[in-house]
Amino acid sequence: MTDILQILILGLALGGVIALMGSGLSLVFGVMRIVNLAHPSLIICGAYVSYWAFKLWGLDPIVTLPIAALIMAAIGVLLYRLMFESQAKSARYSEMTVLLTFALAMIVEGFLGAAFTNTQRVTSPDYATDAFFIGSLFIPKGQLYAGCVSLAIIGALTLFLNYSRLGYAIRATTQNREAAELLGVNVNLISMIAFAIGIGLAGAAGSLVSFVFSFFPAKQWEWIAMLMSVVVLGGMGSVLGTVVAALLLSVIAAFVGAWVGATWSTMTFFLALFVILLIRPQGLFGEKPELA
Amino acid sequence: MAVNLQQADASSVLEARRIHNQKLARQHDQTRATWFPLAVLGVLLALPLLQLTGNYNYLLHLVLFTASYAVMASGWNIIGGFAGYISLGHAVFFAIGGYFSGMLLARYGISTLLTAPLAGLVAAICGYLVGLITLKVRGPSFIISSIALLMIARILFDHWGFIGGANGMSLPVTDLPVLTAKLPYYYAFVLMAAFTVWATYRIKHSKFGLGLRALSKDEVKAESAGINTRFYKVLAFALSAFFVGMSGAVWGEYLTYLRPNIFLIILVSANLVLMCILGGKGTIAGPVVGAILIVAFNEIFVATLGASEINILATGFVMVLGLMFFPNGVIGTLARKGKLPRVLNWD
Repeated sequence: MTDILQILILGLALGGVIALMGSGLSLVFGVMRIVNLAHPSLIICGAYVSYWAFKLWGLDPIVTLPIAALIMAAIGVLLYRLMFESQAKSARYSEMTVLLTFALAMIVEGFLGAAFTNTQRVTSPDYATDAFFIGSLFIPKGQLYAGCVSLAIIGALTLFLNYSRLGYAIRATTQNREAAELLGVNVNLISMIAFAIGIGLAGAAGSLVSFVFSFFPAKQWEWIAMLMSVVVLGGMGSVLGTVVAALLLSVIAAFVGAWVGATWSTMTFFLALFVILLIRPQGLFGEKPELA
Repeated sequence: MAVNLQQADASSVLEARRIHNQKLARQHDQTRATWFPLAVLGVLLALPLLQLTGNYNYLLHLVLFTASYAVMASGWNIIGGFAGYISLGHAVFFAIGGYFSGMLLARYGISTLLTAPLAGLVAAICGYLVGLITLKVRGPSFIISSIALLMIARILFDHWGFIGGANGMSLPVTDLPVLTAKLPYYYAFVLMAAFTVWATYRIKHSKFGLGLRALSKDEVKAESAGINTRFYKVLAFALSAFFVGMSGAVWGEYLTYLRPNIFLIILVSANLVLMCILGGKGTIAGPVVGAILIVAFNEIFVATLGASEINILATGFVMVLGLMFFPNGVIGTLARKGKLPRVLNWD
């Protein structure tokens, strides 16, 4: 019984981080219909920001989180301007943007690999290796803090989307681009802002990831499939769905990892992706089969 | 009587249309320079004669490398170019072909040159089964599922002890002297490339190819026009896996070792996509031109910069530029402007 509870706690704590990693992806898809394959590589960028800030100046990753988020958001604006704005009129928009983000992922991976080499890195603040003990239960502080911070950020994001004028505009653009434009929403500007927020979330997730997982530039391919399964299960474009799916899948993965073998815990995500695409391509919270 | 008259009219219309189509085909044939690909093939087949005058192994290696990529890119073109399903998981079939033939070579000593078609067949069967599942979705979903396929295969290959796991396994090294060591593989790849180009030409100009092009434009309309889209696209996927697997089989023996981090990396898939896009998706000459461009480009980068990270960076960069400014590729852009030289018009 304690075993099960223990695995559940570890799974939920990781699930919180994965939810934050996926939420930016989901937001960008919702507003712009871009499947951003470069998202994990940008998360790794954010992780490097926090890693070097910790390594050089001893700054705590949670403290540098807003900085990483801001830097990445600025990069997001730049990327939007350079790459995606001109694609809006493209006939094969969805495929073109997927390929573009794929190429972008390779650029980022190559750049990070050339600059920082492909060695495994992990930020190690004191709490990363520490843990709380409640009875026989063991809760690693790093994962707990990361999970709590990311759920707080997602909470703030939900409040922003639901209760601010800008949030209304973003949700309106998600629901129906043309109608939003007719009602006076500057769709292009909203897309840019949403894209920047999405990439900013990637930066924020990166700071947390930097002490939860070990990372290196080529790790992104594993994360792409993992995040995609989370986002597709949640229903692309739905932030709430992403959170639910992330918690669900990471708990399942934790059980698989504990009972079957650590290798197969990542496999859970990939197989889940196949099963979801097969049975319910619109995901749990998706309204219509957007991608099918 | 009236009915007969109408029937007569109908058949004469059909007859006239058939004659008209034949005339168009003949005109089209006249604009095509069939001699050019054949001449290239002849030159390539004669190229090893250079070995009589000195050691040109590097040149042979480059041609062989290009030919192997031309086979794979042309194979990818069947599903990615004709049917419009972008797959980023084709490295899986490369690995399946390589491992299947490589294992036969390692266990029973049968050369992969003989088992390559069989390896292609195995890859095609795997492709058929995978396609039955993943081709249910299209667009971005399909691309994502193909990446997931690659990740799943990587985990399986990394942990399957029988085929050497993550360390892979080495294959026997050829005992031919240096000057002729590359020749069997050279001829295998050049002939395979010629066969693949011919096969993709035949596929594109068959009813099957027409169906693929129809479903790439609009799947629902294609379906309502009586095309069995499900079967067509799954078959296209299997066919493309066949060529990729065949190339992988010989490539394994040429490299003399099999390892997941050589065969099962996304860079292999990315290169196939990149070649087809740069050369021109959905054209016959496109993948070949793309393969030549990418190999030349790779050689320049590896020779001047070396590191594989820079290579990844440069590949991504070329891909972005190609997608943004040449979405139709070399052949497509030239053809659209009506400036495609006759020698490159293989369609």
